[in-house]
Amino acid sequence: MKKTNNHQELLALSAGVAAAVLMAEPAAAQQGKLLVFLHVAMKQRALQTELESALGGIQVTAVGRIGDFERGLQDGVDAVLSLPVLLAAFKLSPKLKGVRGGSTEEAYSLVGVDAEPVPGKITSVGALDLLGRDGTSAFVKGLLNASPRIERVSKVEDLLPLLQMQRADAVLLPSRLFAEIKSASKLALFQKEIGKTVGLPCVASVKPSGDAIASAISKMPTSAAKKLGVDSWR
Amino acid sequence: MALTRRTILGSVPFFFGLAVGCAASTNEITAFTGLREITRSGTGNSRLPTILVLMPDTPQTREVWKGLTDELSEGYCVIAVRIDHSSESIAVGEAIRVYQPSALVLMNNPTLKAYKAYQASGKAAKFPPAVVVMTSFLEGQVQGVANATGINYEIPLITVITNLRRLLKLGSERVGVVVREPLAAFVSKEVQLARREKIRVVTEFVSADANASEIKRAIRRLKGEADVVWILNDDRLLSPRLISEAWLPGLEERPWVPTIVGAGSLVLAERALGTFAVLPDHVGLGAQAASVLLDMADNGWTLDPGASVQMPLSTTTTMDLGQVKERFVMRDGAMQQVDRVVE
Repeated sequence: MKKTNNHQELLALSAGVAAAVLMAEPAAAQQGKLLVFLHVAMKQRALQTELESALGGIQVTAVGRIGDFERGLQDGVDAVLSLPVLLAAFKLSPKLKGVRGGSTEEAYSLVGVDAEPVPGKITSVGALDLLGRDGTSAFVKGLLNASPRIERVSKVEDLLPLLQMQRADAVLLPSRLFAEIKSASKLALFQKEIGKTVGLPCVASVKPSGDAIASAISKMPTSAAKKLGVDSWR
Repeated sequence: MALTRRTILGSVPFFFGLAVGCAASTNEITAFTGLREITRSGTGNSRLPTILVLMPDTPQTREVWKGLTDELSEGYCVIAVRIDHSSESIAVGEAIRVYQPSALVLMNNPTLKAYKAYQASGKAAKFPPAVVVMTSFLEGQVQGVANATGINYEIPLITVITNLRRLLKLGSERVGVVVREPLAAFVSKEVQLARREKIRVVTEFVSADANASEIKRAIRRLKGEADVVWILNDDRLLSPRLISEAWLPGLEERPWVPTIVGAGSLVLAERALGTFAVLPDHVGLGAQAASVLLDMADNGWTLDPGASVQMPLSTTTTMDLGQVKERFVMRDGAMQQVDRVVE
């Protein structure tokens, strides 16, 4: 008898747990895991904290290297936030696109010392590593319509040493980040927009639960979005 | 059963000429040769060129390994063999014979010393190109090593001060440094490079075996002229005795100036020695070494005779937050530019 009671109690408990899980599902999906691979003017630790606070409940992992991004994807995430060129390389489709000044694209610039760099004349250029050696090289050469030697770095602040140590004739970066480099340096830095644009950060769902994360990102405070170079989302 | 040196050497011809690339397992190689293989990375294709990494097994070398293999695993078989002491030149030679690498990576001072001894032993006529990392004051050390280049372990002063500009409001950007004569040439190069960023350096020379009062005097003089003190990673100046009898009392005296050190262990909440540490980003160091190797590969595994030792590009910053809050004025957004905070 006692056994039967226990069995019935267990069944009732299981049903209760199942109901609770079903009821909790939407909330759990809204939490989820977001993998972020963006080059911004702050440390990855700070970016992760900023996004976690802006996206209350969502577990954010911010990485700065392609290898860490690949491992993060393998670990299982619900959504990723990165540039469209990276999403395309991993066959992911943007669900949500970042917008600034009404456009989903942004200008890029070459920055050099003592004079405006001329894309066709530079022999070496520093660039943020987004796609690994071959991918980044092809990406940069495509933007410049030239074939300089590419020096890859993984952080925005690592671009300046390339100029200070004369390892590169110029560095390539989103134009909005020029101010960050200039503020830390007393070199005579000159900026030249290259005339081509690159897509702003986008969100892609890796699992169906990623759609809820995209929705949360679309509502994030403007102050947090601006740190990513974005005014709003579309 | 422990393998004797004779069994190790006896097994070498057995492996010599076989495909000892990524197709073999770490355990097999370790069992047959006695070499202490730590790990390997690659696609498993034994025809891929091998890059042999000689290193101790520490958290820092593992980070460098991560940076290396993230870049190299797709096209190369990368194998790490453990070397702990400068006396292990025989193990270095055996590893090179067994794996027949296209290139070498040597991590830290004892490994480089062991490799130098191997080269000096005259057991080989040719040496694969080598990239040396995690070795202090490398430029002096790598001279005389055949077919080798590397990346400095010390962070250049120009990078250190550039990082500091993002964190603190500095006045005139005059940097003070206490120097022993043997490091004068190293500091002179740093000063020259720092000039590009209009950084001025005030140097206080002390004797090669400086005592506590000499160092304290030098610190006092520097504080009168400089608004930041750069503490060199000089073992002689940073002995436990000199830290407690010279550096700590000297820096505790007013006026307070921020100090920059080159070791994370010197930034401690309970002792106001290092205000900031600017350190190599070890994963970045591995990636930078991989770039050097990839350039060598593109060049038919030859080292450009004009190749010079590179400066490290990627750094991490540690800050003693309590000391900064109490004594200095932080810039807006400074916390976003720090990798590690000590409180």
